[in-house]
Amino acid sequence: MTTLGGRTLPAATRTPRRRPGRVRRRPPVVFLLPTAVLLVVFGAYPLLVLVQMSFSDVGPATIIGPWDFVGLDNYADVLGGAEVWRSLLRTVAVAAVLLLSNLVLGFVVASLLSFEGRVTSLVLSVMVFIWALPPLVSGSTWRFLLDDTGLVNAVLGLVGVGPVPWLSEPRLALWSVTAVIAWGALPFSALILRGGLLAVDPQVVEAAAIDGAGYWRTQVQVVLPLLRPTLWILGILTVLYAFKSFDYFYVLTQGGPGTATNTLPVQSYYAAFTDFDMSTGATVAVVAMAVVVALAVPYVRSLRREGDA
Amino acid sequence: MNRFVSGPTKGLFAVLRVVLALAYLVPLAWVVVTSLKSGPEVLRSPNALLFTPTLDTYRDVVGDGLEAIATSLQIAVLVTLVVLVVAVPAAFALARRISPVWERVIAVGLAVLLVLQMVPQPMTVIPLFSVLAQWGLLGNLAGLVLADIALLLPFGVMLLRPFALAISPSLYEAAEIDGASTVQSFRLITVPMLSNGIFTVMSVIFITAWGEFVYAINFLPLGVVPPVSGLLAQQNTTYAANWNDLMALAVLTSLPLLVVFVLSQRRLRSGLSLGAVK
Repeated sequence: MTTLGGRTLPAATRTPRRRPGRVRRRPPVVFLLPTAVLLVVFGAYPLLVLVQMSFSDVGPATIIGPWDFVGLDNYADVLGGAEVWRSLLRTVAVAAVLLLSNLVLGFVVASLLSFEGRVTSLVLSVMVFIWALPPLVSGSTWRFLLDDTGLVNAVLGLVGVGPVPWLSEPRLALWSVTAVIAWGALPFSALILRGGLLAVDPQVVEAAAIDGAGYWRTQVQVVLPLLRPTLWILGILTVLYAFKSFDYFYVLTQGGPGTATNTLPVQSYYAAFTDFDMSTGATVAVVAMAVVVALAVPYVRSLRREGDA
Repeated sequence: MNRFVSGPTKGLFAVLRVVLALAYLVPLAWVVVTSLKSGPEVLRSPNALLFTPTLDTYRDVVGDGLEAIATSLQIAVLVTLVVLVVAVPAAFALARRISPVWERVIAVGLAVLLVLQMVPQPMTVIPLFSVLAQWGLLGNLAGLVLADIALLLPFGVMLLRPFALAISPSLYEAAEIDGASTVQSFRLITVPMLSNGIFTVMSVIFITAWGEFVYAINFLPLGVVPPVSGLLAQQNTTYAANWNDLMALAVLTSLPLLVVFVLSQRRLRSGLSLGAVK
């Protein structure tokens, strides 16, 4: 091997081994191999085990196996019960609220933050920091703020309302947690949409303004359609997030009171790790996965359309 | 855009921006304020604004906090390193469209990565618990680190790939004509030109590994010093009313993140939107 000085490319000084234009390219398999191995062993294989668990009888004493095959019994139990359907409904409700907040509120916030200025850059910094903060930390914060004696109720008390049992009233708890999730997810969607907004050609906006369209009319009628690909992807990511979201539930309600805040991931986790009913946990997980995969298809397609693949 | 907004609208925007700032700053400030109160003070009047600040709470939790930070640092640094070492070559390979066959490999690889990235973590934890137990990896850091790597690797590759795609193929062609091997091209072109992306991904992976708790609370035995997330999870369930302790721990364990944040926030802002959407 010739010595390569610094970062200059090799062999300007050296006779080419092969003739230009007839370079034979070997596929960079080796470069992909470590990732492939790690993901097959610790990513794909566990998913197969998950499916296997959903067809088996797995209890606390038989976590390692071997497991008795029970066919569709777990599915009959889970899908025959009312709880999984309630969880699915709750998950869809969370997804719907998050869609509204991430797309509508996200777009408004992104618009607000597309003006340069001191407050803008402060808000951006704080939002990126909130995004970076472990959900356990921001979740604990909100548990404190929403406590019966917490700041939110103290402020409401000043105007003679409350205290509102945000997290302990079964009918309210799901919406309280969803609001906190929306608060935590907004920075990410606002940042993404802001990136899209800043990439819009200023001339397009100017042309609309010269035609006399007001700011929000321009934003909605001219800019918004240009952001459609971004909104589409963000929308799918948001729905997927509702099927993933667990940390805030863990900190704020642990699925309670009762089962009032059980979404699919929450139900599946607590079935497996609190009731030690791994079979039920795995079965609920597979049901949720089916939804995720169904959503993955349009997502992958839309990414392709973007010309990425 | 600025020029086309009328006066009153501008005023409204300014107000809305301040509201937004408060919605995110007040909770943060409240954490810090509460952490400076003493236990009895918090019990007596949890929302008092006038009080004598004390570092007593920090004195109480600093021991546990620092130990947890040490564990978390080990985990997060190891995970970040391995993910980068493995993901950078993968991103390179998935950005080189050198032949129709390889393009098909890329398409399949990307689809697999996307799907793996989408699998909800509260669900992978169930089979991983069994798989790690089977392989004797349950209850030690190695198992947790491997699980974290598998969790974050797809994300890392997907985030790096747009940066790798931005490198012009003509650079590689020039290098090939000069007789460079693929390894040389990778080392001398890809890695230096990816430095921006590598830095962004490094911050994101570190941040996520720092906050990860679903694996941490399940894959480590009770006796072991928990990482930051494990400690916070414990505090949350056992000492429900010790708000000042919890808030002081929250501040303490977020300090390393603050460092990463200060170092990387500009890149995070732009890098995230690029990587997440593309």
